[in-house]
Amino acid sequence: MLVVMFLTWYERKVLARIQLRIGPLYAGGPGGILQPIADGVKLIFKEVMIPYKADKFLFIWIPLALVFSAAVPFAVIPFGQHWVIANLDVGLVFVFAMTSLFPSMILIFAWASNSKYPFLGGLRSLFQQVAYEIPMWISALSVVMLAGSLSLVDIVNAQTKIWFAIPAFLSFVVFFVSIMAELERLPFDLPTAEPELVAGWFTESSGAIFMVLFLALYMKLYLMSSLVTVLFLGGWWGPAFLPQPVWFIIKTLIVATFIIIPRGVYPRIRVDMLIRIGWTRLLIIALANVFLTVLMLNSGVLAAWGL
Amino acid sequence: MVALTSYLIVSAALLGIGVYGLSVKKNAMRILFAVEIIVNAANLNFAAFTRYMNPPSVSGQVIVFYSIAAAAMEACVGLALILVAFRLNSTIDVRKLNKLKG
Amino acid sequence: MALITVPPDITFIVLAAVAIIGSIMALQAKELIYGAISLAISFIGIAGFYVFLDAPYLAMLQIAIYVGAVVVLILFTIMLVRREETDEMVDRPEGGEGAIGLWLAGLLSVGIAGVAALAGPNLPNAPPPGNLPVSELGPVLAVEYPIPLIILALLLSAALLGALVLAKVEK
Repeated sequence: MLVVMFLTWYERKVLARIQLRIGPLYAGGPGGILQPIADGVKLIFKEVMIPYKADKFLFIWIPLALVFSAAVPFAVIPFGQHWVIANLDVGLVFVFAMTSLFPSMILIFAWASNSKYPFLGGLRSLFQQVAYEIPMWISALSVVMLAGSLSLVDIVNAQTKIWFAIPAFLSFVVFFVSIMAELERLPFDLPTAEPELVAGWFTESSGAIFMVLFLALYMKLYLMSSLVTVLFLGGWWGPAFLPQPVWFIIKTLIVATFIIIPRGVYPRIRVDMLIRIGWTRLLIIALANVFLTVLMLNSGVLAAWGL
Repeated sequence: MVALTSYLIVSAALLGIGVYGLSVKKNAMRILFAVEIIVNAANLNFAAFTRYMNPPSVSGQVIVFYSIAAAAMEACVGLALILVAFRLNSTIDVRKLNKLKG
Repeated sequence: MALITVPPDITFIVLAAVAIIGSIMALQAKELIYGAISLAISFIGIAGFYVFLDAPYLAMLQIAIYVGAVVVLILFTIMLVRREETDEMVDRPEGGEGAIGLWLAGLLSVGIAGVAALAGPNLPNAPPPGNLPVSELGPVLAVEYPIPLIILALLLSAALLGALVLAKVEK
C-alpha cells in the first residue's frame, strides 16, 4: 500500500522533471510528498456515480477482485534470502496465472459500464494485454531454462555469479517491452488515450471505485518491476553493506523508473501496429532467445558462471 | 486426509450437472458451458486417481495437462462455430438451428 | 456400510461447494455474462482441488488457460452474439424436457457416485506418502509421452487455423 502511494508521487515527480516542470509541490510536506494522501482523500469524497443501466454488483466487485489478484502474487516474490512469504515450487507460473486473470476482469468491467466508449477501450485493452502475455511467458522460459527451476527463490539464487539479463539479453528486452504493454503504459497507451477515448475502460468509474482501480494499476506496476528484478537483475544480491531487501527495493525502483520515463518521451503507437508487434516480432525474438539459450547451455559457454 | 471417494462423488456431481445442461438448455453458449463442466469433472477424476495410486505416479497429471489443452482448443473452435451460426441465422437457439443448408 | 469412511475436512467441503454451485449458476443464471463469471469461479474452485491433490502446476495451468483464456473467449463471444431476442430468451426447460434432463443427469451421476461409494472401503483412504515434485513432470512428458505432445502441437495449429478460417468475415 505504502509503496503504491510512494510510486504515484514518484511517477508524477519523474514525469514532471522530464517535462521540465517541478511536479506536485503544493500538497504540503517536504517536496509534495503528501500528494498521494491528498489524492486519496479527494477520490474518497468524490461522488460515486454509476451509470444508469450499468451493473452495480459487478462495478463494485471487479475492481476489488482486480486489486486482489494484483496483490496476491506478492506472496511469492522474494525480497531477500529468507524474506518470502510462500516459496511455491511453481512460483513463476503462479504469478503468470494471476496476471492472466487481468484481461478477463477488464473485459467484464468494461462491459459492466454499459456504454460504448469504455467498452471499446476495454476491447482494445483486452487485445493488447492478451497479445503481450505470450512473449512474456516465452522470455521467462529462457530464464527458467537458465535457472533450472520454476521457484522464484531458486531463480534468484542461481544468479549469484551473473545476472540473467546478460546471457538472456534478448529476452530481457522482450520482457521489458511486454510489461510496458501489459500495464498500458506509454508508448502503448491506446486504451487510455486521453484525446480519443476519454479514459478508456475506466471512464465510468469515479470516486472510490477509481481509487481502487488506480491502486490496482500501480500495484501491477510494482509487481511487474519486481518480477523483472527477480528474473533478470539478480533479485537481492548486492555488496553486503546494505541488507538484502534494500537492494531489492532499490533495483525495483530503478526498473520502475525506466518504465515510467517513456511515458513522457515517446509518442503513442497505433493499436493494430501494437498488436502486430506483439504477436509477430516480439514472439519471434523471444523464441530466438530460447534457442540461443539452449545452444549456450548445451555448449557449455556459460559454465564459467555455474550455469 | 480426504478419502478418494469424496473426490469421485464431487466429480460425479459435476458430471451430472454438465449432462443436465447439455440435454436441457437451448442456448448454444450454455451448452458450451456444460461441455466445459463435463471436461473439468473428468480432469478432476484423473487427478484424483493419479494421486491415490500406489506407488505415486505422475502420469495422470500428464493426461490432465493434455486434456486442459485439448478442451481449450475445442472451446475455441466451438465458439467460432457459434459466431458463424449467429451470423448466418441471427439466433443461437439450438432448436432453430436445425437446417443443414441455407 | 459406511459410505465415506473418512469425513472430509472443511476446506474440501468449501471447495466442492464453490465448484458445484459455480457450475449450477453457470447454467441457470439469467444473464449469460453472469453465467460466464460463475463458470470462471467454478474453474478456480477446481484449481483449488488440484492444489489439494499435490498438483500445483496443474492448478496454475488451469487458472492460466481456463480462466485466463477460455473464459475471455467466452465473454468475448457472448458480447458479440447479443441481440434483443437472445436477451429475452428465457432458457427454462419446457414440457417434459426438464424432467428428462434431470432423470438423465441424476441417473448418471448417482450411478457413478454409487459405484464410487460402494467401492469405498476398497479404495485408498489416504494418499500414499511421497511427493510429486514438478520437476518430475517434464521428463515424463518428454520421455514417456512424446507422441501425444507432437499430436497436441499439430492439433493446436489445426484448431487455430480452423477457428480463424471459420470466423473470417467474408468481404
